[in-house]
Amino acid sequence: MAVDPRARTSNRTIGQMVVVGVIASAIGVAWGLYIDWFPIQGSSQAKKIDELWDVLLIIAVPVFVMVVVVILFAVRDYRQRPGEELLDGPNVHGSTRLEIIWTTIPAVVIFVLVGYAATILSDIEEAPANAAQELKIDVTGEQFAWTFKYKGADGKDVNTTRLYLPKGRSVKFNVRSKDVIHDFWIPEMRMKVDAVPGIVTSYRITPIREGNYPVVCAELCGLGHSVMRQTAYVQSADKFDAWLAKQSAPAPAAAPAEGGGAAPAAAIDAKKLFTDGNGESIACGSCHQLADAGTPAGGVGPNLDMVLAGQSADMIKESIVEPEKVATKGFPPGVMPPNYGETLKPEELDALVEYLVTSTKK
Amino acid sequence: MLSAVRQPGWTRAMAFSAIGVAFTYALSVGARAGFDYKPFLDGEAVLQIGLISVPFFFMVGLGLFDYWGYWMSGKPTRPEDHSGHGAKNWKSYFYPNTDHKVIGVQYVVHSFFYLFVGGLFAMLIRAELAQPGRQFLDANTYNGVFSVHASLLIFLFIIPVFAGLANYVLPLMIGAPDMAFPRLNALSFWLLPIAGVMMLSSFFAPGGSFASGWTAYAPLSNSAPIGQVFFTIGVQFAGASSIATALNFLVTIITMRAPGMSFFRMPLLVWANFATSLLVVIATPFIAASQFFILLDRALGFNFFDNGQGGDVLMYQHVFWFYSHPAVYIMILPGFGIISEVLAVKARKPIFGYRMMAFSLLAIVVLGFTVWAHHMFVSGMQNWIRVPMMITTAIIAVPTGIKVFSWLATLWRGVLKLDTPMLFALGFITMFTLGGISGVMLAMIPLTIHVSDTYFIVAHIHYVLFGGSLFTVYAGVYYWFPKMTGRMYDEKLGKIHFWLTFVFFNVTFAPMHLIGVDGMPRRVADYADKYAEWNLAISIASFALGLSTLIFAYNMIASWRGGPRAVGNPWRALTLEWQVTSPPPVFNFDAIPTVVGGPYEYGVPGAVHGVFADEEKAAPVAAGAGAGATATAGSGGAPSLEKPSAPDHD
Amino acid sequence: MEAAAIHAAHGHDHHGPPEANRSSRVEPQMLGMLLFIISEIMVFGAFFTAYFFIRIVDQDNSWFPLDGVELPKLIAGINTAILLSSSLTLHWAQTCAKNGNRAGLKVGMLTTFLLGLTFLFIQVNEYIHVGFAPHDHAQGSIFYGLTGLHGAHVFIGLTLLLIVTIRAYRGHFTPEEHGGVEIPGIYWHFVDVMWIVVYTSIYIL
Ligand code: HEA
Ligand code: HEA
Ligand code: HEC
Ligand code: CUA
Ligand SMILES: [Cu+2]
Repeated sequence: MAVDPRARTSNRTIGQMVVVGVIASAIGVAWGLYIDWFPIQGSSQAKKIDELWDVLLIIAVPVFVMVVVVILFAVRDYRQRPGEELLDGPNVHGSTRLEIIWTTIPAVVIFVLVGYAATILSDIEEAPANAAQELKIDVTGEQFAWTFKYKGADGKDVNTTRLYLPKGRSVKFNVRSKDVIHDFWIPEMRMKVDAVPGIVTSYRITPIREGNYPVVCAELCGLGHSVMRQTAYVQSADKFDAWLAKQSAPAPAAAPAEGGGAAPAAAIDAKKLFTDGNGESIACGSCHQLADAGTPAGGVGPNLDMVLAGQSADMIKESIVEPEKVATKGFPPGVMPPNYGETLKPEELDALVEYLVTSTKK
Repeated sequence: MLSAVRQPGWTRAMAFSAIGVAFTYALSVGARAGFDYKPFLDGEAVLQIGLISVPFFFMVGLGLFDYWGYWMSGKPTRPEDHSGHGAKNWKSYFYPNTDHKVIGVQYVVHSFFYLFVGGLFAMLIRAELAQPGRQFLDANTYNGVFSVHASLLIFLFIIPVFAGLANYVLPLMIGAPDMAFPRLNALSFWLLPIAGVMMLSSFFAPGGSFASGWTAYAPLSNSAPIGQVFFTIGVQFAGASSIATALNFLVTIITMRAPGMSFFRMPLLVWANFATSLLVVIATPFIAASQFFILLDRALGFNFFDNGQGGDVLMYQHVFWFYSHPAVYIMILPGFGIISEVLAVKARKPIFGYRMMAFSLLAIVVLGFTVWAHHMFVSGMQNWIRVPMMITTAIIAVPTGIKVFSWLATLWRGVLKLDTPMLFALGFITMFTLGGISGVMLAMIPLTIHVSDTYFIVAHIHYVLFGGSLFTVYAGVYYWFPKMTGRMYDEKLGKIHFWLTFVFFNVTFAPMHLIGVDGMPRRVADYADKYAEWNLAISIASFALGLSTLIFAYNMIASWRGGPRAVGNPWRALTLEWQVTSPPPVFNFDAIPTVVGGPYEYGVPGAVHGVFADEEKAAPVAAGAGAGATATAGSGGAPSLEKPSAPDHD
Repeated sequence: MEAAAIHAAHGHDHHGPPEANRSSRVEPQMLGMLLFIISEIMVFGAFFTAYFFIRIVDQDNSWFPLDGVELPKLIAGINTAILLSSSLTLHWAQTCAKNGNRAGLKVGMLTTFLLGLTFLFIQVNEYIHVGFAPHDHAQGSIFYGLTGLHGAHVFIGLTLLLIVTIRAYRGHFTPEEHGGVEIPGIYWHFVDVMWIVVYTSIYIL
């Protein structure tokens, strides 16, 4: 046999491969870093996580490029050419040295990465220096809405479906669930945790930008999972404090006396019921747009200004108590909670219906 | 007619199933009346009992237990006549058969049916997601569609198709005439259609199909409509099938290797299935148990997951992932084996670092049991579990890396024949590396906290399962197609299939990384407008990906029917399955070969892996007996040769 | 007809398969049973995981006696003794099978079967009188879950024993060939050992 033309593999091929590999990796890394992967950085935690991502890209791209480049060069230099149908490669069985190299190098890379990730993890979960300063919010998920509970200035609970957050202050969420597993996530803040029935889970963030961000349920929780969306409003610390103070100001009917019947029906603030619920019922405003109450568009349920215009009180009442019975076209049945008949007191229900009739009449 | 009912077969299976239904009603009503539950006739109770019991009636009717029935009752069993062994014509594939080659084909074809069904569901998913908002699937159907998509592709495609390919080639590769327990093998196969039909028919259940994802987390699955039970019970059948096959593989590999076939002379496919089977035997009982818990909670009011009564919701996830993480290796290790076979043959070189290849498989098996909680980084479990799990998870990159690098080194200086199996093998290495790297990223807890339950995960899933497992399946099916069918496939169509699949696979799934990191959650029928463009692009590419699969289907069907005849060893491979005719004789070998060297000694002129005893010398025993067989019933003597005594039923 | 078809399809002599090479000293049936037992142990492992979570991880759960209900340790203890003695009688039956003592084999198998049946009977009786139901609390669920799972295995074991007994009465098994007694026997011993673990963790600890 003549000199095997394939023995031309040589340092030159390997040299070329290294050059191509380095260039391709550099381009790949540069491109990867250039891409705007994440949503806005809304919290100090987001900065750290995005930094970890960059490090991961810088390691991942060269590994992938290396594998691809070796394959492409092998195909270029060693593919079977006409006349080589019966040729075999050299009977090489291995090389202990190479095998040691490609066991240890990835192992070292992995350990470095893991160590780095662990420090980032402890950074993003670290409690603030001034623990007393930290704002604690109880978050409760249920099919298919979130409710939030703050401690008001006077120590009373403030229940709401709108999540207000102060900029620059560490916030700790204690997350619970009333039914199945949900997951409390604000993509702009990067952190998430499951809301698990029976236990309290938590995480903390420090918002660093004002703005409105989506609150997303990230664990499959049933029919309404894809529409279990609310909004987080990040405000300056002053504005936030003012808001909280207003919430906890003892509005006469805000917290109906436990005695129940004692509170006269006239005192029920139906608008507040609509926007915030009564502590037990999920607020209508978390799903429905209503101009008078100022609840936003884009919710899960129909825009009540439009669908309720000119509807009778009885019909509205029925839609609330038995939402299954009159499914609205284009909206998912079974999403609106079927239990308003129980969670709302009869007089609250009447007030709410009354309010809806008047506020949608044009 | 009556004789048809007494004969094992489809008529009897249907008759028995009908009896099963009657039995179910009787049991359900009887039990409820006995315990004084009102109403006596309860649809859900009947359905739950029926889903468990009717399949057994069906299988008994089909004749899967006949032999054991005789044996158990101490009656003389019919001497083995091999009448249920080997395919006579295409109809044989629709009956229980004990020939591992027939069972292998049954497995593979049946699994591919579910690839198409599962893929069709994927097309529905993509059609719905092409635009934000709701198009034509309501929330319930959408949740059902992706749950069934994943369940079918995992439990009825990837896992069984590997079992099927190995079923066909593994006994041949180790020089065994069949699997260790041929009847158990037949039973393993027939459990699968039951599981498949059950999962598919869940769409007809009141309240729709099961819709809590393939993970079926409690308590959602506990309170879901009755369709959920079709998953709960269907998985039991698929799982039982896996365990039975794995047990069969292990016993076959350990006790039936040809003389000279030491463990380190086994082809890597055999090693891979050895490793996989260990995983299956040890891990699969956990998913069975997790679904027992759900069933007990649902049907009998147990409180495993009812936190109000002291149950523990997270326990489900621990038990589920203790199976389902190993399951992802169950879905890739056999593929590693296929790639090793294809690469050695197509690069004409021995596998580089054979021993490390075998050991790294075992390392993955061991490590695979220590990482389950990486699926639970945001589940709210105890915080301290996370970092240890992050470490073990990331370490799996090391043995996997050894495999990838050894494959690359195998290519180096080989003579690469770039035909379809090889293209898929090379495509696999690149795509799996990408999917594996995104896996390592997911192991990094701070990142997972953000991307868990987003499309980044969906991207990872499909890079490892489609770019990984499915590419190896394609490689394997093309590679063994000549052996299994005796025909050659169309090379040109094969290459077109590869390139279309490779390109559209990437266009479909690569952008999912982007939208995932950008915050698009998974398992949603509706999404924010900012993801609209990418989703449209993904959907269009996915349709092209789906269509490219039709080329594969056409190639397989047309070539099977009319492709050119294949010679015994078209690839000039050394492993034993290529040393017999294509397709192999009914009993694989006339005499068991003797293994004299490694399986991949390419580059050594004249090297062989196994030698076959001289036909003339080996023949007399067999041939002599064969001649006598026509007249007398075999009595004693090793291979018993009685003529089938069963009456014809044509 | 079948044979003819095979001829037609494959043009191959219809003869049996070549004898497989035996590459291990372990009997295939024995190995199969051992592997099956491994996967059975894992099923129990999953149920013990549930037990672990409900009893230990959830710290606000207490264990029996619960709501004043005491588990019948003593009766269950006696039952344990019954089950354990069945392992002994089984061993005796197996020894008889090896030595060709057919009468011993028959009596041994029958006693073993009856002892197993007694165990199951007492267990069911315990369910009736224990004083709580699986749907009362998670502890009840895990009690019924684990003992019920074990009971199901006793049932499977009894079925195997019944088969062996029937075959023994029909004159099967010889000193040379008694794998059919050995292998179900291993399963029965496994069921016994498993009961000790279940009994200890549920009733005693
Ligand atoms: C075939 C299936 C398969 C395979 C092989 C893998 C392999 C891996 N997977 Fe994946 N995984 C899935 C299928 C699979 N996965 C599925 C289906 C899910 C989602 C389940 C659900 O929720 O529905 C999932 C989810 C999943 C998660 C959970 C994410 C979440 O839900 O929050 C994580 C987290 O750690 C993870 C990690 C890994 C890792 C580290 C590997 C490793 O084994 C990969 C190792 C391979 C390599 C790394 C590439 C080759 C190596 C080299 C070239 C060496 C050099 C490399 C480096 C130094 C980095 N996977
Ligand atoms: C082996 C496993 C496997 C395979 C092969 C696939 C294949 C595909 N998968 Fe799947 N997928 C999973 C396993 C798999 N998937 C898993 C485990 C999940 C997680 C589920 C969960 O969250 O519980 C998932 C989830 C999942 C989602 C996320 C759903 C969600 O979270 O809301 C999406 C979305 O795009 C998707 C798409 C696809 C597509 C487009 C394909 C394509 O590759 C399919 C290609 C199509 C075919 C092979 C069909 C053959 C073609 C025809 C029949 C004719 C063509 C017809 C037309 C063009 C109309 N998959
Ligand atoms: C979790 C989301 C959600 C909450 C909370 C919710 N709804 Fe709805 N609602 C829906 C959806 C979705 C529909 C449309 C489908 C249907 O009719 O069931 C709907 C329908 C309605 C309708 C019928 C509209 C029509 O077309 O006639 C009325 C009236 C209504 N809601 C009022 C309320 C009131 C009042 C509350 C609070 C007490 C409330 N909803 C709380 C989701 C919600
Ligand atoms: Cu709540 Cu998803
Ligand atoms: Cu995993």
